[in-house]
Amino acid sequence: MQTGLNALFAAAYLSLVAVGLVLIFGVMGVINFAHGELFMLGAYVVVALYTNLQMPFVLVVAIGLIFVGLVGILMEFTMFHPLRDNPLGGLVASIGFLMVIQASITIGFGVRMEHVPPVTQDVIILSEKVRLPVQRLFVILSAFVCLTALWLFLKKTKFGWALRASAQDPEAAMLQGISTRTVSIIAMFIGAALAGVAGSVTAPVISVSPVIGHSVIVSAFIVIIVGGIGSLEGAVLASVTYAFIHTVITTFIDGVIADIVGLSLMLLVLIIKPTGMFGTQDRV
Amino acid sequence: MESKILKVNDLGKQFGGIKAVNGLSFVVKEGHIHGLIGPNGAGKTTTFNLISGFYKPSQGSVRLFDEEISGLGMYRVARKGVIRTFQHSTLFAEMSVLENVLVGTHMMFKPNFLAALIGNERAIRDQAIKRSREVLEFFGLESFTSNLAGELSHGHQRTLGMAVAMASNPKILLLDEPFTGMNPEETQSMMGLMAKLRDSGMTLLLVEHDMTAIMGLCDRITVMNFGKLLTEGKPLEIRNHPDVIEAYLGTRNHAT
Amino acid sequence: MAFIGLLTLVLIALPHGLSYSQREILVVLTINILVVSSYRLLTLTGEWSLGHVVMMGVGAYASALYSKEWGVPVPISMIIGALTAGLVAWGLSFPLFRMKGFYFLIGSFAAGEIIRLLWKRFRDPFGGPKGIKRIDPFPDIDLGFIRIDFFDPVNYYYFTLIIVVLCLVILWRIEKSLIGLTFHAVHWQDKLAESAGVNVRDYRTLALVISSTFAGLAGTLLAHYIGTVNPNGFDIEQMVFVLTWAIVGGTTTLYGPIIGCITLTALNEIVLRELGLEQGRPLIYGLILIVSVLFMPKGLEDVVKRGVAWAQLQIVKERTNGV
Repeated sequence: MQTGLNALFAAAYLSLVAVGLVLIFGVMGVINFAHGELFMLGAYVVVALYTNLQMPFVLVVAIGLIFVGLVGILMEFTMFHPLRDNPLGGLVASIGFLMVIQASITIGFGVRMEHVPPVTQDVIILSEKVRLPVQRLFVILSAFVCLTALWLFLKKTKFGWALRASAQDPEAAMLQGISTRTVSIIAMFIGAALAGVAGSVTAPVISVSPVIGHSVIVSAFIVIIVGGIGSLEGAVLASVTYAFIHTVITTFIDGVIADIVGLSLMLLVLIIKPTGMFGTQDRV
Repeated sequence: MESKILKVNDLGKQFGGIKAVNGLSFVVKEGHIHGLIGPNGAGKTTTFNLISGFYKPSQGSVRLFDEEISGLGMYRVARKGVIRTFQHSTLFAEMSVLENVLVGTHMMFKPNFLAALIGNERAIRDQAIKRSREVLEFFGLESFTSNLAGELSHGHQRTLGMAVAMASNPKILLLDEPFTGMNPEETQSMMGLMAKLRDSGMTLLLVEHDMTAIMGLCDRITVMNFGKLLTEGKPLEIRNHPDVIEAYLGTRNHAT
Repeated sequence: MAFIGLLTLVLIALPHGLSYSQREILVVLTINILVVSSYRLLTLTGEWSLGHVVMMGVGAYASALYSKEWGVPVPISMIIGALTAGLVAWGLSFPLFRMKGFYFLIGSFAAGEIIRLLWKRFRDPFGGPKGIKRIDPFPDIDLGFIRIDFFDPVNYYYFTLIIVVLCLVILWRIEKSLIGLTFHAVHWQDKLAESAGVNVRDYRTLALVISSTFAGLAGTLLAHYIGTVNPNGFDIEQMVFVLTWAIVGGTTTLYGPIIGCITLTALNEIVLRELGLEQGRPLIYGLILIVSVLFMPKGLEDVVKRGVAWAQLQIVKERTNGV
């Protein structure tokens, strides 16, 4: 039961990161290797504004969302748009961007781990053995709210419709008079912002350091491959499944084995069905 | 003397629920130019891909002489001596004309890893180059030897595609819409090359959707419609066959 | 010919003008040239791997273990260490070459990470996160009148230089052979190559195995010099460096990646170290990677090509003017 709650918490922030990654891939056809670093940036926004400047946590999360979203737009303008005809180039550039962000944060904040004081120490005691810290509940709720909002945005609004259309068939979308450029910028903002929010809300629960992006991006890759590249629902479903398996193995065996199992799972999916278990489209 | 080189028997391919090819049978005789024609969507290209090993058939067989070759995979079918060309100008555009044909000689002159390692490849390489030059000369491309394949004109690119295929000395050559996008002169010279190949004893199976282009060229023609055999016969019989006229006129006017 | 003679002299004289620590860097640079050059062989077939540095690690771990645990003499353990890397690559080719392009990239990353995590997890025999220490050094050579001590970076530099040049000659021969031609064919039009009877998968596998064997050899050269290997020495960050060298240098020529490797190492060691900007190293590397992908997609080799063409033009002009 406790393991299940831990898994749910992991699934919450992981699915935010993975959904953003899938969104960017769907619309722009590029894999953003720097996506884990956007998560890390979100966490450092909390370190800078909440830990150091003592601003209200909810406000800081909102700033994290917008700030990281803007970084996403910056990436679109400087790299992904100029390299739109060169998917490998976009991927390599995003690796370069990853290094730039990581090094900038290292220079600005140092390599040591930052401890973010929890916003609340409250713990919901569900039973003698099952405890849910409110801070973790907050992460789960944020993910739920963000994903629902995204779902509504995609299904109910004109922009959301345009976004889905151009992810499925850019040319058809263009014929419908949708500016793919605008759609790209919006997708980049949302995709990055989701990673930023994930980093911000998770920061008080984890130890923040400049290298946390690495494990996040590896997990996110596993999730989007297993979930099927291009499928948002698949990414969420795979996040929950993966987080559960990973947490169980970490709890009962150890973390490295859990990572090995996760990566093997991804390799297995790539061998059997490169488009993923829930995937519908294949853009590469 | 005319032995049956290729036997297609009850061949079928399903994509999802759609039967692209359904129970097709025909025979190609050695030394013939055999045409496979039909209106758009008749299943010609699928048949072509089934014979060349690009697809696995859902039913039926393809035999080269008496050996089953269907479902082997493209490079294995090629190794049996059934070589295909591609629609459009599928070439190694970034490589020279000679290098393109050299790749075509792959099966005759297998690269040897050990020889490459110790730099003792001369003999085999010289033979491969000699063969390639002969093929280029046959196709009248010898003056372009060191040009990049991508720089050639459309007609020359299609010819080079045939030269690459012929470099391996196949038993039967499969041509996928060899006249598409060609101007009249190019078409004329391509037809000349095919006749020249037949005279040298080569068997050709060509898929074409424009009937008039190949009427004078083929020894025998198989007509497909809706994935099935419509009729088969000599060009004159085909030209006047009421079902063929209807199939072409009924879908799109291409016969004239 | 004069150029090769001059180059030989420079390469022989090079370590004598450097400090001790710079000589050590020179050894590592020579090894890295082998890593990036062998990586390029794989890219000839059009596939980009993220597991190449792990293959280097496989060679390093294997040779370290063979010599330490089983007492295999170091020169022999290095050879079978390199072959072990080739063998592991061969095994990995079965799952990995069911994928192409982007999926191969991700798949090779996953496979490499799994291997790295196995080193990390299994203390016996891999030593866990701290890796293997006190690896036997390359044995001294005693010729009676002269004794070559390979602990000295100058001597080890000459040793690696000879090995690496030999490997480059082999890589060059492979590329210029019919096998190399077939690699190119597989890259540009795999379907057409297949229709010419090329077993595309076998050739991709061959390229992966050869490139991994040489990467493994590079790993053994490193392991027996620095005397220690650990999982973090072969992580994705190292892989990114190799990728950067290849992309900044360009991969259409043999010398492209080598130029990339030398230029960036020189930049790193001379400029950044002298300026005291070591923390900023990934920052600069990252910026260079982005800028070169954006503005120099053909790499430094293209600059060299144009330079040579320009120089030739000048010579021709001078001659015609003289006449």
